[in-house]
Amino acid sequence: MIRTIAKPAQKKVTGCGECRSTCQSACKTSCTVGNQSCERITRENNPEKDVK
Amino acid sequence: MFHIFNYKNNNYIYDTGSGSLHTCDDKTALYLAHEEGQDVDISSLTDEDIASIKADVAELEAQGLLNAEEVKTYPLKSNEVKALCIHICHDCNLRCRYCFADEGAYHAAREFMSEETAKKAIDFLIQNSGNRRVLEADFFGGEPLMCIDVIKNVVAYAREQGAKYGKKFLFTTTTNALLLDDDTIDFFNREMENVVLSIDGRKEVHDAIRKTVNGKGSFDIVLPKIKKFVQSRGDKSYYVRGTFTAKNLDFSKDVIFLAEQGFDSISMEPVVTDIDDLMIKPEHLPAIKAEYENLCDKYIEKYKKGEGFNFFHFNIDLEGGPCLSKRVSACGAGNEYFSVVPNGDIYPCHQFAGDPAFKMGNVYEGKLNADIRNKFASSCLFTRKNCQDCFAKFICSGGCSANNYHFTGDIETPYPITCEMMKKRAECAMHVLAVKKGMV
Repeated sequence: MIRTIAKPAQKKVTGCGECRSTCQSACKTSCTVGNQSCERITRENNPEKDVK
Repeated sequence: MFHIFNYKNNNYIYDTGSGSLHTCDDKTALYLAHEEGQDVDISSLTDEDIASIKADVAELEAQGLLNAEEVKTYPLKSNEVKALCIHICHDCNLRCRYCFADEGAYHAAREFMSEETAKKAIDFLIQNSGNRRVLEADFFGGEPLMCIDVIKNVVAYAREQGAKYGKKFLFTTTTNALLLDDDTIDFFNREMENVVLSIDGRKEVHDAIRKTVNGKGSFDIVLPKIKKFVQSRGDKSYYVRGTFTAKNLDFSKDVIFLAEQGFDSISMEPVVTDIDDLMIKPEHLPAIKAEYENLCDKYIEKYKKGEGFNFFHFNIDLEGGPCLSKRVSACGAGNEYFSVVPNGDIYPCHQFAGDPAFKMGNVYEGKLNADIRNKFASSCLFTRKNCQDCFAKFICSGGCSANNYHFTGDIETPYPITCEMMKKRAECAMHVLAVKKGMV
């Protein structure tokens, strides 16, 4: 039996560029995109965090 | 393509094309390991077992959640600049042995950036940002707090220019915290979207490397300052960021030590150095992988006790993760992200700073070397041949160009040691996700 733990909400190819650069996020040596979230989706889900 | 692995007696299937994560029973895991090409004996599986597994697989395939088709072209290629690493000074008040920046000097004279040059860097960013609304500037060094007055003036200038040109600036400062005082804390909490504070963990680990110019350990100075800052930070972003070396392969103890100081946003990175007794070597990999598992256990234990914290490399957002464009183009170094050093010279990123082969221009000239920019702009996950069969390619995007270059001589060729560590962290992150979702 196979159970799904997580799947992408939607497959997006936006490249809107509104997210933080990978290298600015935490370490400046081995930050990887997989450790980040789409900040646009995050903001849409949390409007109070919107970048004004 | 998918990757099947067992972690703490749980079977996981990560589907590379869709980015989905599944768990399965042992028989399914055995069959899929065989399908993945692993050397396993499936003679214990009956025809009935295999038929049932194939039906499950077919159902997921129909939903696009297993063996999903992978994108193989680069969808977007922007030439808009969105972020700068501003080397506000090439000097430092620490003399850390492992410093990739030559203890702040970047293999040249110690130098501070003038306010005029820093403002030129902001102008350069705005002028080259096209339609980008959100721009980023990271104050980096050396030690940026040695030039805090310049930073304050540059932030004010950027806010003013941002308002004029319709740009929103997100600022970050990376600091060793030695000069962190109440006034700077207030400034950071007002103006910095993110603050990265360097501390390596346990006192003996930190002090063995991170020494002041007079050779004394800096731990006792920085720990109380970082604590005070974090207590004042509220819900704004920060990371306490450590480095582990060959000398502390038991780095989970350092992460937990930092968590127990009340820090709830932590990263711990493998050292980038060629110093023989500190550098990570292939023979260290088994111990490092085991230590990531060790850290994963401790992280989950704390999470279950209600003492959870954010460890950067155990974050994996499979539902609302970055878009494909970002997964393919990664950090954007040399194309949409640059570093500017004190004299205004521009490099692809901070890890190339000072290397004449990678000098791309100067903020006073405003032009970028087209050959170097094209080299970086055309480099993406799909041009990195060694990455094409890796399950984690959409997680790491083909690695850090600087790391690749410094260890393999080619920005397109990933360094295998880095890859191995990254893949192990990805597996740990997937297990953490499954635990947090109550699926295992």
